[in-house]
Amino acid sequence: MLNIKDLTKTYPSGVQALKGISLDVSAGMFGLLGPNGAGKTTLMKILATLLEPDRGGAEMNGIDLIKDKHGTRRMLGYLPQEFGLYPTLTAEQTLHYFAKLKGVFDKKERGMLVDALLDRVNLAGERGQRVGGFSGGMRQRLGIAQALIGQPQLIIVDEPTAGLDPEERIRFHNLLAETAGEDAVVILSTHIVADVSSLCSQMAVIRQGAILGSITPQQAIDRLKDSVWEATVPREQVGTLKSRYPVISSQMFGGLARLRVISRTERPSEEFVPAAPALEDYYFDLVNHGTTVAETRP
Amino acid sequence: MINPFQTRFAAIFWNEVLLNSKRVAPYIVAALSAGNALLWWGWGPATGRNMATNSDAFIAGVLPFFCFLFQPLLAMIIMADPTVRDFRAEINPLIFSKPVSRAEYLLGKFFGNFFTLSCCQFMFSATLFVLQWVPKHGMVVQEAKFLAYPKHFVAYVVISYLPLAAFYFTVGTLTRNVKIVYGLGLAIYPLFISYALVFLKRLPWRWGALLDPLLINWGNRNEIHATSAEVFNQLVIVYDSIFIANRIGMILLTAICLTILYLLFTTAERSEKAAKFTFISLSSAAEGVYYQDSSPDQFDPAVMRSVPPASAGGLKRALSPELSLDPSAYADGTDLISREVPALPEVARLNEVIRANVNKLVAAIAIEFRLLRAERSLVVVAPLAIFLCLLEVAFYNIHADVSLSAAYASNTATSLLIFLIGMAVFYTGEAMHRDREIRIEPFLWTTPVSNSVLILSKFLSTLLLLWALIVSVGVAAVAIQIIRHHTPIDLVAYGKIYGLILLPSAFILTAISVLGNVVLRNKYAFYVVSIGTAAALFYLYSSGHNHWLYNPVLYRLWTYADLAAGTRMILLYRLCWLAFAVTCLALAHLFFERRSRRKANLPLPFALR
Repeated sequence: MLNIKDLTKTYPSGVQALKGISLDVSAGMFGLLGPNGAGKTTLMKILATLLEPDRGGAEMNGIDLIKDKHGTRRMLGYLPQEFGLYPTLTAEQTLHYFAKLKGVFDKKERGMLVDALLDRVNLAGERGQRVGGFSGGMRQRLGIAQALIGQPQLIIVDEPTAGLDPEERIRFHNLLAETAGEDAVVILSTHIVADVSSLCSQMAVIRQGAILGSITPQQAIDRLKDSVWEATVPREQVGTLKSRYPVISSQMFGGLARLRVISRTERPSEEFVPAAPALEDYYFDLVNHGTTVAETRP
Repeated sequence: MINPFQTRFAAIFWNEVLLNSKRVAPYIVAALSAGNALLWWGWGPATGRNMATNSDAFIAGVLPFFCFLFQPLLAMIIMADPTVRDFRAEINPLIFSKPVSRAEYLLGKFFGNFFTLSCCQFMFSATLFVLQWVPKHGMVVQEAKFLAYPKHFVAYVVISYLPLAAFYFTVGTLTRNVKIVYGLGLAIYPLFISYALVFLKRLPWRWGALLDPLLINWGNRNEIHATSAEVFNQLVIVYDSIFIANRIGMILLTAICLTILYLLFTTAERSEKAAKFTFISLSSAAEGVYYQDSSPDQFDPAVMRSVPPASAGGLKRALSPELSLDPSAYADGTDLISREVPALPEVARLNEVIRANVNKLVAAIAIEFRLLRAERSLVVVAPLAIFLCLLEVAFYNIHADVSLSAAYASNTATSLLIFLIGMAVFYTGEAMHRDREIRIEPFLWTTPVSNSVLILSKFLSTLLLLWALIVSVGVAAVAIQIIRHHTPIDLVAYGKIYGLILLPSAFILTAISVLGNVVLRNKYAFYVVSIGTAAALFYLYSSGHNHWLYNPVLYRLWTYADLAAGTRMILLYRLCWLAFAVTCLALAHLFFERRSRRKANLPLPFALR
């Protein structure tokens, strides 16, 4: 559905944010994973018509997202990483306004739509409250509600769960999952691996403006099958083990450290036991080493 | 012994100086002060009168006028927002979580910014000091002086500005709203002039000098202007007991102002905000939803690992076992997470036809106007504008050339023009930059709305505001006319003057402001450019260089007799300027930052964003 070809963007400061990114995204949830500063937001902004790429193109359902900005905006729902809302308007007034801007002029239909959206994001009880008094989670939900107006075919959500409490986060995931149907592409940009793992049928990992891998989460885990090892060791041994093995993550607790390493051929040492691979393992390996065991496997 | 340079007060003080050194405003204040000095030196009262530009009387004599011209506005820009910036940048929790007392914080902020302001203002005296060695034909210069410049600067300028700066700082800090300070700053001139004319002038000289914050009356005692050049050049300014009492009074005023601030200042969130936050209870058992107990001895890395990947079907299948969706997890028994959500209804959308654009424009104007009405500064500015425009017709004798209604309308229209300029510049700036400041721009710019709708909604809402003010002043003028029994009411006179002068002027000023904001992309830069341009134009008009080609509001270019005799020429002027205004709007559309097509909009290398 969405084809991105060779998108390149260099900012006036000289920072090359995107280095010729190409992706094919089909309907459903697509996770874009990457560390801070990887170029996720730049890519999202370009797809959302807010930024002009230096080179490359993006096309969806016959619409050129770079050239035909008005056409793109007709099918777009966008929730940026950072946003604000008019503090003096109520939640209901805000949604009515955005619905009008998206071309929903029939008063009755618009009323029904706003009611349904408020209900869907669980803000029906606060519909008359000014947005200026909303908490972060409520604002985020109102943000996604405005993005859902007008049956968008391309929904872009940039780091949506940052700052949300666990309950809000799950509710937000549910909303996104229900929105992604057969006709819509939902691009979820995040650095939280669990978000992608629990939501997305497709994903890509981006680092320093380049796509390191585009894969389904299940495939990513399958690639690490029988390659992940885990050991709980005293903290003092961490340095030695890190120098000896390709450690993908280490977590400290008490006086101990739990290390996870990738070894495709043999058990690293006696301390290590086999561990079930997780998407984090794939992500950390890819981001830290620039490749995965799958690529190096003979 | 405590080193004063290693205290928390000093840290905050120097941090403010550092922050100000990275802002544009202090440099503008410094440049304007230096430019002001240049004008006083080369083209001031000493020119052609054999008065020495470095005589003690000249050095001290120009300072009260320097204090009055522009400086209250420039001080407002620096002193209004030192603490507001902290709250806006949300750095306040980081500061207030340190062992910093309120006094250290407030005094450090105040004196850090006041020091910056004084340094910038000192450019006036420093420039005069340097100009002692610059030769100019016909200019009398005495032997070079050194101490007189800083001494008089501190006595006249620094102490005069202490209470005003404290007032701005106090209001800005307590309201956390710079716009209220700006509104008060704009009101300083009419208030000071009224205070000087109505109150100080009627007092005996001693009391007048004692209560004059800028010491203009104290200087007049010496009758400097009536003195011959020889005597003037020999005058030495000695601070008498009245001067010293006046200065002590100013310092006491400052102390009172800062004490009030100290007593009322709170570092906590505003109560209204807190109340709203506590109104909604988002989660009753949030921690139970996501993680198991994970004390160190119970550490289970499986919990911390990611959940299994989801299939395209949605979240619920992927959540177990790590994410609990059990309704019993919630104290109130409701299952907010896994509940069924209603489907969104199908709606018809209209985006292509002209009617759609008109509907969107109407919706956008309604919101923009509502947001403009919510501007808190309007509470001060609008009543003040109406009051000052009506002051003369309400309390003084009206001289009627043609008719009383014409005199009423002309009088209020001339006063209102000044406010229209200020309000057009200020509120257009607010409307044009509001979306970016509150970060709603990404939402608006990704909706299928044309740029013309976005620009015109801001233009028309501001215009509506200005026209509402014009109508209010007109209605109030008619009411006063009736109350004062200055009948009959000639509505045609009002219609002609307001319809030909004020309403088109508002249109033209707003259109120019829209273009200025689009091109500069920085409202403060536009404010500075506007103030500079307006000052230069009014200087030209008052010095006799007045022509409709560079006078869009036709200030002092008409009388009611002209309008009564025939409106053809005025109409022609208006049409030319209205065409210019429409061109401005077209250019604003062309240069607008949001793009409709690839490479459609022109780049702006001079834009300040």
